[in-house]
Amino acid sequence: MATPMELRCWGGDWDLPSVHFESLIVLAYGKFAGAKISVKPIDWTWRTITATVPELHFDGCTVIEPTKILNFLRKQRLNADYELTAKQGADTMAYIALLEEKLRPALLHTFWVDAENYINLTRPWFASHSPFPLNFFVPGRQASLALSRIMLTKGESPYCTLTEVEGKIYSDAKECLNLLSHRLGTSQYFFGNTPTSLDAFVFGYIAPLHKAPLSSGQLQQHLKQLSNLCQFCNVVLKNFFTENPPEPPPAIQEPVDANLQKLTQLVNKESNLIEKMDDNLRSSPQHRPHRSDHRPAARSKNSTPA
Amino acid sequence: MSLAAEAFVGQIAAAEPWPESATLYQPLNDEQILLSDNASSLAVQAYLKMCSLPVRVSCRVNAEFMSPSGKVPFIHVGNQVVSELGPIVQFTKAKGFSLSEGLDDVQRAEMKAYMELVNNMLLTAELYIQWCDDTTAAEISRPRYSSPYSWPLSHILAYQKQWEVRRKMSAIGWAGKSLEQVYEDVSQCCQALSQRLGTQLYFFNKQPTELDALVFGHIFTILTTRLTSDELAERVKVYSNLLSFCKRIEQTFFEESDQSPGSSRYSKGPTLT
Repeated sequence: MATPMELRCWGGDWDLPSVHFESLIVLAYGKFAGAKISVKPIDWTWRTITATVPELHFDGCTVIEPTKILNFLRKQRLNADYELTAKQGADTMAYIALLEEKLRPALLHTFWVDAENYINLTRPWFASHSPFPLNFFVPGRQASLALSRIMLTKGESPYCTLTEVEGKIYSDAKECLNLLSHRLGTSQYFFGNTPTSLDAFVFGYIAPLHKAPLSSGQLQQHLKQLSNLCQFCNVVLKNFFTENPPEPPPAIQEPVDANLQKLTQLVNKESNLIEKMDDNLRSSPQHRPHRSDHRPAARSKNSTPA
Repeated sequence: MSLAAEAFVGQIAAAEPWPESATLYQPLNDEQILLSDNASSLAVQAYLKMCSLPVRVSCRVNAEFMSPSGKVPFIHVGNQVVSELGPIVQFTKAKGFSLSEGLDDVQRAEMKAYMELVNNMLLTAELYIQWCDDTTAAEISRPRYSSPYSWPLSHILAYQKQWEVRRKMSAIGWAGKSLEQVYEDVSQCCQALSQRLGTQLYFFNKQPTELDALVFGHIFTILTTRLTSDELAERVKVYSNLLSFCKRIEQTFFEESDQSPGSSRYSKGPTLT
């Protein structure tokens, strides 16, 4: 690979290399696999409306969509999943499907459909990163695409109105985040000590949610309660996306006091237990009627614009 | 239903025992039902059998329109109507019947992830093959879907359904896929399922769960349904542990009550060869 591969994606902000979650997936995987990818942001070019992002160019061929780009990189022998067993590879596929089905609609809603976030954060950002006169069209087009995707996949009757779909997709997304947190547990990455494509996907979906300064973010607040996922994001950012990456984490952790490690593990187990109890309480039918009085009110506060 | 209403229904559901007159509604077996609907219906039937809950299967022409969410199958239990496998699993859990209680959190996360994989890949592929592939749509799907109705209603309903499915496919990015790529996706999904199953009896421990019911529903239907080409069934047959898994579930749960899982409809034979 003498000539580096070129990746076209949206630019970065809020401590992230890119604000677009699909581009983040590809960037993260590239770092994990050790690929030399030169990043060409499409900000302030006409590609903001013409190109499908992310796009990888190499040797005259163009690949779009994160799954296809990852397959392409694997064929070029840049494989971060090399050490996974067959079962772990199958688990990867399953968890990626879970993310797509449960988390993606809520993410699209948080950034593009929720009125407060769209007006205060997403639209200004994308409009300021597009050239004139595209800044009038690009955010609107993305927003309508996001809304149509949500309504077509999740909006079958009786969820005909947006508010009912919202309730369902946010509860699905919170459940998905809880499941990911359970699966990650106390380990640094999802499969052992080296990051794989599943880590890239999870990072790509969660990092914008974690770092973006959202004004109305019930999903972001839920994520902040899951400390191991936030820790996972920060670790990936620190190890792979800072200018001077520190030494590999295992080398640093060796001299750490064994007692401190045990204490940290206990604290993590405690917080996981509290999470579990909390979830059990929330999901048990006996307790729902008490909480459900609060929930619709809270939901309607969140989803109607100020 | 809003979340509060769902919780309320759950409370009521928990109070009553499972009645003998529970009924499952699906489209007509011989003439109307399509591959994807049959897979979902079979998955629900398998799940209820695994929970040992008796249910009568009733075939109605307008099952899709009676259903509260527009999807088949749906069950009518007491005075509640619940459709689709996910809500039905929660409903039976509220009544005290659950197959996944013995799983810990990580296993439950895996089970949900694999169920989403089946829904995401297998169900979407089935819908694609039925409605976005022109030969299959013209020869099988549209005639079957509209068979109970007379012209012009049959035309309108069939094309409306096709348009809806095609719109959904383009929203999720499957419209640009070729049939070959869809078959490839199905193969990969089956490979993942096969690797997860390995040599075990069921996907988790020795007890079946809702994941087993879902996988059985889809794989059995794919294997026993004749389409314009046999490519789909051939791709699935490569994975022998999935085949034996299906046979085992069929023998354990369907043959003991002498009820064939509706496989005689336009299939090569009544059971798996």
